[in-house]
This record gives sequence, structure tokens and C-alpha cells, in this order.
Amino acid sequence: MSAYLIRRLFQMAIVIFVVSLFMFFLFNIAPGGPLTGLQQQQRKITQEDKARIRAQYELDLYWPVRYTRWLVGWPNGPITIAGNELFANIPVGCYMEGTTATGGIECNDYVYLAEIAQVHPPERSSQGILRGDFGTSQVVQRGRPVFGLLLSRLPATLELQIPALLLALLIGIPLGIFSAIRQYSKFDYGFTTAAFVGSSMPTFFFGILFILFFSVIPSLAQEQYPWLIALPPGLQKAVRPYEITSWLPTIMPGSLVDYALHLLLPVTVLTIVNVAVWSRFLRSSMLEVLRQDYVRTARAKGLREALVVNKHALRNALIPFITVLVLYIPVLFGGAILTETVFAWPGMGRLFNEALQQSDYNVALAFIYISTILIVFATLLGDVLYAVIDPRIRYS
Amino acid sequence: MTATTAKPIAVANIPREGKEEGQFSVVMRRFRRHRLAMISLVVIIVIVVLAALAPLIAPFPRDIPDLGVSSRPGLPGTLSSQGQIHLAGVDHLGRDLLTRVLFGARVSLTIAFVVVFFSEIFGVIVGALGGYFGGWFDGVSSRVVEFLLSIPTLPILLVTSSVLIKSGAQLPVPDFVTNGLARIMATTPAEANKVIVLMFILIVLGWTGAARLMRGMALTLRNQDFVESLRAMGASHWRIIFRHIIPNGIAPILVNASLGLAGIVIAEASLSFLGVGVQEPTPSWGNMLANAQSFMFQYPWLPLIPGIPLVLVTVSFNFIGDGLRDALDPRLKR
Repeated sequence: MSAYLIRRLFQMAIVIFVVSLFMFFLFNIAPGGPLTGLQQQQRKITQEDKARIRAQYELDLYWPVRYTRWLVGWPNGPITIAGNELFANIPVGCYMEGTTATGGIECNDYVYLAEIAQVHPPERSSQGILRGDFGTSQVVQRGRPVFGLLLSRLPATLELQIPALLLALLIGIPLGIFSAIRQYSKFDYGFTTAAFVGSSMPTFFFGILFILFFSVIPSLAQEQYPWLIALPPGLQKAVRPYEITSWLPTIMPGSLVDYALHLLLPVTVLTIVNVAVWSRFLRSSMLEVLRQDYVRTARAKGLREALVVNKHALRNALIPFITVLVLYIPVLFGGAILTETVFAWPGMGRLFNEALQQSDYNVALAFIYISTILIVFATLLGDVLYAVIDPRIRYS
Repeated sequence: MTATTAKPIAVANIPREGKEEGQFSVVMRRFRRHRLAMISLVVIIVIVVLAALAPLIAPFPRDIPDLGVSSRPGLPGTLSSQGQIHLAGVDHLGRDLLTRVLFGARVSLTIAFVVVFFSEIFGVIVGALGGYFGGWFDGVSSRVVEFLLSIPTLPILLVTSSVLIKSGAQLPVPDFVTNGLARIMATTPAEANKVIVLMFILIVLGWTGAARLMRGMALTLRNQDFVESLRAMGASHWRIIFRHIIPNGIAPILVNASLGLAGIVIAEASLSFLGVGVQEPTPSWGNMLANAQSFMFQYPWLPLIPGIPLVLVTVSFNFIGDGLRDALDPRLKR
């Protein structure tokens, strides 16, 4: 088992490394480069301004140097051994480019290794993502460290995901089990069709439908029917007191009721989508377990049906569900990007979307990096848990 | 040492009822028994035909805003500034919604079919070669598939589309492909180029399903007796793979393709909804939904107009895939 773990950890490291490499190249080598966001904002820049702004983003350095600096924050000066500076005169970047007489591109002002400490002082450059320093956000919240920005949005995402997860488990597991026990009944047929439709619809349209039916239409119809309830259509909390219906008192922003009302719609949408997918999975898993010989033996022994189902069949049916559940951990932290965008929920998913729209690549990169780490660890956790729970599984 | 006397086997005289039923007709017959799958197939065919005929049956020009219409967005039944009736209403710029939905169907369905076609073909070939030959190719392709499965798909999809489409990167495809695509989607070649980039990204992230399925089937099939007898008869490896292994392993691929069609329609709609897929003014159901969401509060019917076809198409593809899965399942009795 330990050999398997070591192999898996090695694979994980490779995956994370390759993803970071790919992301770095995508943002820096793609035509337009990381200054695309800048050029969206400004029109007329002189050559010196351009060189200065490029230096600000460390674009004056050559990309291998930039990559290693992004990764681990090195090199940040000449290598000093016993007081002697080695490699001080290697050009590691080009501050200002110019054209030669023949029309080629040559460098007018090289950046040397010795100058890095002056031109890119350690206080202003990142220490590398492997040390947890993701740089500062450029557009979304200018100057704010990305890691802090992500952490500040995490509670909002968790506030949305954890109730959805618990509700989906509480509702989905019994539904799937019951449908499997009562196979071929009307409940089973109705349920499977509903779950099928629910799991094949796009989630963002589901969200829009819910906003339509529980927020937009009631608020439009409230002129004629003031007793209708109109839930708030988005955001986490309101900015001014509001009324949702005529027979309830005015709701203050920041109160518990306010938070709860804003949570209601997004959590419902997430719950329904998760219930549809998980209950189908559980149903098929339970059906397979109920056909097994040991279940027949348990019944033949005369055990109560409830005992057979709840103690023997259920536990075995839940085993494959663990892997599905563990893969939900990255979603828990990374947020459901589409749902958060539809409901304008201030969580990590919507932050990622905003960063992408405004070309704030530090934030987007950090988000993808963290998502990859979470998925890779969640997969490993799922496999290990599977081996722990099911004694029939043994990894060589 | 007992002499076992075998009981005489009664060889019944089974009358031959004409030709034996081919595999295709067996599958078709079992598929026809699924009412929902048949209904979904009819729905898809109707939508595809309507989308294909869109340039002929569309009542209004697709992209020209009509600022003189009585209300923008307008209810179904609004009259245009020339007095023509808009059957599905107008959007916030006065463009006819029925026309845009029809053309959006062309865009979404074209992207779905092309992406699924190429990703399934690529996945089948890689999976069959890897499963049959084994060796270094199988090792490399399995690692690549594992890698692609362990990355967060939606964020990477979003980032790649956003960066490549914003920076205007273009894939080196021959002109006739770009122009042909531009004609099909009724858009400019520049926009068609962006759609090609989008399709490329979706294909690269989507071929893993077919590859895994085909690899499993190839691993099982290559140990069967008929393969050994084919080798003994002198068949080359390539002939065995393409004439025998792939056709025998195609069943789960078809199911995967149908479910993949639904998935790609949703993926493209999600990307367009978030603004990194098909760009304005080319209509796609996703970006029509995004526009509709902004105006939803005063004009609540607006999201339903691109949304209902979207739901119909995705649910239908899923039902067809489910019906195919049941029809192709060898464990079910006739």
C-alpha cells in the first residue's frame, strides 16, 4: 500500500507541475500575452511607458527566468559564494527593445543578473507559488494579495455549499434507496424520470428558472396579489430593508432572516441538481447489491426486511458512493462557478469568473492551481478510503 | 472407467424463417420499444431540420437591430417597424427572437456534432491502438488520459477559451474549413475561426471517455479466439483493428457519443453564457440566455425562449443515449 501511495504522490506532483506549466505558458506565450488586459484599458502609451509597465509585470525578463521566479522566487540576484558574485553579468532580460538598421529586433538595454535585486526588489516580487505566494491581484482588487482575496471569498462559498451538500445527502440517499427497494413501482418510474430530467438539464438554466418563478414573477404579480412571496434574486445579503410579502415584517439587511432568504434559492438549485445525480447513482448501486447472494441469504435466515436493507445492503451500496462524494470536495471549495454567477453570489467561483472577464490572470491562475491540488488530493483520498472501507480492495 | 452413454440429443427440425435478423435490426427493434427515446429522436430530427432550413424559413434578418419596434424587448406578437409580426418577440436590440433561436440552433448543434464526431474518432483510435498493441503507446496514452481526468475541466476550459479567444489566436486550418463553417453558422470567417478554437479545446478535453471505453473493449477482444484465427489466416494488425476490433467495440462508444452530444451542448451553452464562447452578434442559446438574464426582471418570458429549446435538445440527447444503452445491452434478453 505504501508503494502505491508513493507512486500516486509522484503522479500528483507531475500533474500539478504540468498544469502550472501549461497555465503559465497560456498566459504568457499566447498572442497578446499578459498585457492584453492592460491594452484593454489604455490606448496611447509611449515606448518608455510600455517598457516601464512591462518591467512592472516582470515581462522584461526572459521566460525561463520568469517561470522559475514565478515558481520559487529564484533567481533574485547573482549567486554569492564566499563573498564572490558569480554569473553577475548574464543578461536575463531585455528592458527596451529596438530595431537594428536591417530591421531585426535587438535589445537596447539588457537586464543583468546583478541588477535583478535593484530592478525587481524582493519586497515587490513574489516568492513563488510553491511557497504559497500567488502575487497580487491586478484588476479585481488592485494590489491585494491573491491568497488573501481567495480566502476572503471562501466563507461565502462554504456558506452556500455546505447546506446544499447536507441537504442533498439527507434527501438524495433515502430517495435512491427507496426507489431501489420499490423497483418497478409507480414511485420508481416517476422518480427515475424526474431524476433523469433533472440531471440532464443545464444547471444555470435551472437557476434562471428558479429566479423566474420565485423572484421575478411574484414580484411582478405582487401589485395584484400582495400575499405572494418574492424571494431575493441574488447576492448574499441586501443593502437596504425590504419586504418580501405583505404578511411578513420588513427584513433588515444583515439579519439572520436576510441571510437565510438569500440562501434559499441557490441552495435549492444546488440541492436539486445534486439529488438528481446522486440518487440515480445510489439507486443503481443499491439495485446491484440487492441482487447479490448474501442479501438472499440474509432474507432466507429470516431477518427483518428493514434489517436486511439498512444494515447489510445499504452499507455495501454506499461504498462506491464514497468516491462520488469525495470528488465533491473540490466543488465545495472551488464553488459552483455557474450557479454563483447566475445568483451573483460573492464566492470563489464568481471571483474566478470576474478575474477572467477582467483579465486578472494572477487570480485566475491561483484559482486553477488550488482547484487542481484539491481535485488531485480528493481523488487520492477517494481511492485510499475505498481501500480502507472495502476489505476486498487491495492495492499492490 | 464407466462407459457413459450419452443421451441422444433430439435434433429438432427448426424451420428457418427466411433471413436471420441482423444485429442492426435487432438493435433498432429494441430501441423502438423505448417510447421516450423514440419521441426524443423525433424531436431532435425536427430541430435539426428546422435549424438546417433556418436561412430559408427565418422571417427576419438575424443581426440587424430594429430600433423602431414598439417595445424592446417585446412580447411574442410584437409588430416590427414595418408591420410584420414577430412570432417569438424581439430582444433588447429589436432583433427577432425566432430567427435568432433558429440560427442559434445551427451554431450549437454544429459545434456539438463536430466536437463529438472528432473526439469520438480520436478517442476510439487511440484507445483501440493502445488496448491492442499495449507497450509504450498504451503506457503514454493511459498516462495522458489519467492526467486529463485529474484536472478541473470547467476552470481550465474557461481559462483556455477566454485567453485564446480574447487574444485572437487562430488555428492553422485550411480556408475551405473556415469558410464552410462560416457558411453553416451564417457568420464571418473571423468568428468561425474563434469557434474552431473553441471546438478544438472541447475536443482536446473530451476524447478521454471514448478512449477509455475502447481500450477496455480492445483489451477484452484481443484475447478472443477469433483474433487468433485471423492472425493465423495472415491478417495484418491494422486490418484486425479496423475491420474487427473497432466494429465489435463500437456499442458503448455510441452511447457515449449520444450522452457526449448533450454534454457538449451544455458546455458550449455554459461557455457562451459566461461570455467566453460564441461571441455577439452570432447567436448561441448560451449568450441569448445571458442577455435575457439582464432583462429578466421586467420581461420575464425572455429566458424561456432560448432556454426551452436548450432543455429539449439536452434532455432528448440524454433519452436517446439511455435508449441506445438499453438497446445495445447484450445482457438483456430479446
